Amino acid sequence: MNFLLPLAQAEPPAFSQPHNSPQLWTAIIITFLVSFAVLIALLFAPTKARRPVIWTGTFLSGAFYVLLFLWPKPINRADDDLPRNAVEGVSFWISDFQPTFAASTNVIAAFLLGLGIYSVLRVHITRLLKRQKDWVFSVVLLTAMVTMVVFGYIDYVQREFHDKEGKLVEMVNWGPANYGFDLLFDGLLQQMDAAMFSMIAFFILSAAFRAFRVRSVEATVLMGSALIMILSLMGAIDVPWSNMVDGITGKDPSHFLNNMKISEVKGWFQSTLQVPSLRALEFGVGLGALAMGLRIWLGLEKGGVS
Amino acid sequence: MQYLDTGWISVFVTLLLAGFVLFNISRAKGEKSLFIRRIPGLNALDDAIGRATEMGRPVIMVPGLGGLSAVSVQALNVFGHVTRKAAQFSTPIRLCCADAAVYTVAQEIIKDVYQSQGMLDRYDANSVQFVSDRQFAFAAGVSGMILREKAAATFLLGEFFAESLIFAETANSVGAIQVAGSTTQTQTPFFIAACDYVLIGDEFYAASAYLRREPVLVGSLVGQDWGKALVIFIVLIGALLGSFERTQPADLVRVRKDGGAAAMEPISQHEDRAKRTSKKLVDETTMFRLFNPMVSEEMLDIKRDKKPNEEAAAGGGE
Repeated sequence: MNFLLPLAQAEPPAFSQPHNSPQLWTAIIITFLVSFAVLIALLFAPTKARRPVIWTGTFLSGAFYVLLFLWPKPINRADDDLPRNAVEGVSFWISDFQPTFAASTNVIAAFLLGLGIYSVLRVHITRLLKRQKDWVFSVVLLTAMVTMVVFGYIDYVQREFHDKEGKLVEMVNWGPANYGFDLLFDGLLQQMDAAMFSMIAFFILSAAFRAFRVRSVEATVLMGSALIMILSLMGAIDVPWSNMVDGITGKDPSHFLNNMKISEVKGWFQSTLQVPSLRALEFGVGLGALAMGLRIWLGLEKGGVS
Repeated sequence: MQYLDTGWISVFVTLLLAGFVLFNISRAKGEKSLFIRRIPGLNALDDAIGRATEMGRPVIMVPGLGGLSAVSVQALNVFGHVTRKAAQFSTPIRLCCADAAVYTVAQEIIKDVYQSQGMLDRYDANSVQFVSDRQFAFAAGVSGMILREKAAATFLLGEFFAESLIFAETANSVGAIQVAGSTTQTQTPFFIAACDYVLIGDEFYAASAYLRREPVLVGSLVGQDWGKALVIFIVLIGALLGSFERTQPADLVRVRKDGGAAAMEPISQHEDRAKRTSKKLVDETTMFRLFNPMVSEEMLDIKRDKKPNEEAAAGGGE
């Protein structure tokens, strides 16, 4: 393999350019224009013409990650190491290219986010213009969206580009935009998120009420195991019960009755019943994902369009 | 005694599982009648759509919070089937997305379904909506939609997290029939508690094969079953072998070294360990070693040439 060494140590194509350099900006502009042209072409292409293009892209992307999984990985590699042979040369190239390749997904996601925003605007502006039912909520949503974008952008620009000394860390140095963003984000959005999250407690209660009604053998088993789990978390029950068992066994650790402590029963339920069941489910889900991934990668999955 | 190091076996098992799927796909192409057991959650799909049609209320579909992945594609496949049925009866649908990529694909799939049924005029562009990519904003938006439109049926299939119960209980409060399925194991119990029908574990991935009975999908399902049989076999052998080995005296013990390396050394060199137990520990059993290759200090001791220092070559530096 030594004759392949010069090839293995050849510098792979550069995937990054110096920060703020003309080369970087040229690459960004060209990539943007090409991506935009490809997206427009795909948008107007008939479905039959689109399919092979999308399949080729999917196959090549998938093939890269298959190669990443199967190719031997370099051990103990330093940044300035040169590969010792062709196999290491390929593995170095794969591991160097992977972050750039993964980041390209973010670029595509950024394009798609624009479509998402377009969807929100279309639905709510139509509702507003046609004065459909509950159009007032659409006004609230659109106002909130625009306000958050404006305040968020001003706050970001101030912190990133006009605050090199880090003065904005202190609240006393804040301007109206910083206060506005803080009010909108920490004062409203985070609190409303927390309010939605806290509602789950009540939903759990109502769902548990229905689920634990003893109507079948399964529901009875479910209720019994749930009761043990709940009691094991209640010190007022668990501690006296354990003390009572200790009183009978005389704190003999080898006594069989130690297994009757609520915490022991709970532990048995978790380690013997719960964990294996979840692992079995995970195996099934993992195999399903593998099969699905293979079908998508090899173009065998026709999806809902078929 | 040479230490068994078989780092290739995980890759081999993965390739074997993939081989099972591909072999059965090719095998099933000629077959017409491969058996799939009854899945109640999927049988209920048609009933749920029929109910929505009778009540004149919409069907709401949610593919969860996850991005565009095998999970969301599978959910969209099922939603494609639901939409096809709904289109035949002019039942209104709503598909709410939390991810822009999923939204784009969903829009294409739903539009194509209407087109393939020759009912493009019934397609409403607003039936597929991007609601929000923020978890609880999405939860609030979809719950509001379920309440306002009094959904007759909800289909919650995909990757769900804490918002799962909010959807399920809100839909229950308006009397919607619910079919749910999630690959997120922590949410499946919530769905079981709150929904009418739940696709548990890999039933979620069996859905498109069950609904469409295409040879490729059914063959893939048979391949998964072969994979499960292999996993069960490995688990059984591992349990038996592990149980036996744990009762055996350990001649060599696994010792962790610096930098993630490990070595097998005679137990006589490790008095502390010998005092604790002379039997083999989990990480010294054959099955553990098969799937967890050991990196020795020799393997980490690699000498490579260094890249030429560009600054020094250019006469830079101090």
